[in-house]
Amino acid sequence: MTKRDAPRPPRLAVEIAGVRFKNPVLTASGTFAYGVEFAHLMDLSSIGGIVVKGISMKPIKGNPPPRIYETASGMLNAIGWQNSGAVEFVTQKLPALKKIDTRIIVNVVGFSLDEYLEVTQFLNDCPGIAALELNISCPNVHRGGFHFNKNPRDAYQVTHAAKKASAHLPLWVKLSPNVTDIGEFAAACEDAGADALSLVNTLVGMAVDAETRRPRLRFVTGGLSGPAIKPIALRMVWEASRKVKIPVIGIGGIATASDALEFMIAGARAVQVGTANFYNPAASQQIALGIEEYCRRHHMEDINDLVGSLRI
Amino acid sequence: MLDRKAKIKSVGDLGARNYLLTIAAVEQARLTLPGQFVMVKCATDVNQNPLLRRPFTVFDTHPNPRTGRPAGLDLLVRDVGAGTRRLTRMRPGDEVYILGPQGRPFRLPSDMRHRVRFACLVAGGVGIAALLLLARKLMALEVTPVLFYGGRGVEDLVLRDRFENLGIEALYTTEDGSHGDRGAVTQPLEKFLSRHARQGSRIYACGPWGMMKAVNELALRHQIPCEVSLEARMGCSLGACMGCVVRARDDSGEEQFLRVCQEGPIMDSRIIDWDTPPL
Repeated sequence: MTKRDAPRPPRLAVEIAGVRFKNPVLTASGTFAYGVEFAHLMDLSSIGGIVVKGISMKPIKGNPPPRIYETASGMLNAIGWQNSGAVEFVTQKLPALKKIDTRIIVNVVGFSLDEYLEVTQFLNDCPGIAALELNISCPNVHRGGFHFNKNPRDAYQVTHAAKKASAHLPLWVKLSPNVTDIGEFAAACEDAGADALSLVNTLVGMAVDAETRRPRLRFVTGGLSGPAIKPIALRMVWEASRKVKIPVIGIGGIATASDALEFMIAGARAVQVGTANFYNPAASQQIALGIEEYCRRHHMEDINDLVGSLRI
Repeated sequence: MLDRKAKIKSVGDLGARNYLLTIAAVEQARLTLPGQFVMVKCATDVNQNPLLRRPFTVFDTHPNPRTGRPAGLDLLVRDVGAGTRRLTRMRPGDEVYILGPQGRPFRLPSDMRHRVRFACLVAGGVGIAALLLLARKLMALEVTPVLFYGGRGVEDLVLRDRFENLGIEALYTTEDGSHGDRGAVTQPLEKFLSRHARQGSRIYACGPWGMMKAVNELALRHQIPCEVSLEARMGCSLGACMGCVVRARDDSGEEQFLRVCQEGPIMDSRIIDWDTPPL
């Protein structure tokens, strides 16, 4: 085979709201800390981006334990947004993150609209961040979070205000699956100016200890994640991507390259790997490699040709 | 800290649902410090159920009799649920994914013999797992370990020969009186401390929450530094998920949630909020 005949490597780069990602694999908020913890276990530059755990303006202690419980093909969590606050994030964590050859997305949280706006504005002035992901879908706090994702009107309002507050950074909105019609929420956020949507966050669930008759989580309910939710997440990505023109990033039980490809076929421009990082720290790197291998096998020149290519 | 697939060399049944697993994980054995743990996937495929790995303190690293170099990992595993049931039913030759060693080890300054004469090792049941590597290291540092080992019955006092073979003085207690003194392990500990505390002592404890709480109270009363090895359900073990926290108090009395996988599993017993067990 001459040099001319050798197949060109597939193009894996995707673009989301003007930001180029070297490949469509990102890690999900709350599952990958600040990257450095995983640095010995995988090549951090092999993935398209890291979404950092939800940051609030002021430090949040989080919920009392027990905070996690494994269930069939998944797990429940009720962490409660524990983080050291935006100032500590920017001074202590961001410098090391910026050195990694991958995109850094920061997930932002708040208990009220004002808190969302404050942290959004603060982080906009920090170089090294490629985009913000608005977390309006966490089910593990008594105020804020999910409470902006119960009604499309509230989702519109918080997105609209946050978009205005985000002068320099693209704004992604992370949606909850605990709704009747995700397409409605997707459309509302797009109308409000969201640059991209990431879905889904966790499903509300619970577990009980039959011997003690107590809930397994101190918070009683928690968010279900992992392979158990993949069919629901996949369906929602398909529904949402049909309703909007902005990019959709798929999340929900992605553990293998095949999972990631299924989400892209259903309409996702990129994916986030979450729970899989816990039991397989190099999962995201393996998925990125697997996507490349798939493209070669199918003689696909550009991964973008796969997005929304579901054959019905 | 490494993630490796390693072969199981043996699964020893110690009775009463306790097992000793020996795993050929030489690289990781060589890195292990007393008190550290490994996360083991309890299935042969990394994506199989049960998904989350289970944490086990490294009981021993099998020093080669000739060279002294660690040759493998010994884990004390109790069959208490889906993961440990799968793991203890594996056979020699089966391979498992192991992540580690990780976690904060016991604090053992090289010159501690100038300040410490006795190290009280206090174990409740399978808590014994945290104390063998510690015992050997203490002896190497010329500190005398004394073992206080308690359980419900004699069947809980597993692997005590590993300590007796080192020539360590051991005091046993059982609730049913089937071995040693009848009662709680804190009783002989209290007696010992009343006599020897002033000579310089340290306490290292691992066992049920209630036992460690009682040990902490003794430590405070006699003003003896005490480290405990904590347990928690874990998600990632890398400090990312924030799932494995324990309630603790800092110097100003402010409540914090500390990760058992990063700020522990070995912690100063004084900072822990013993009224709020994490499990």
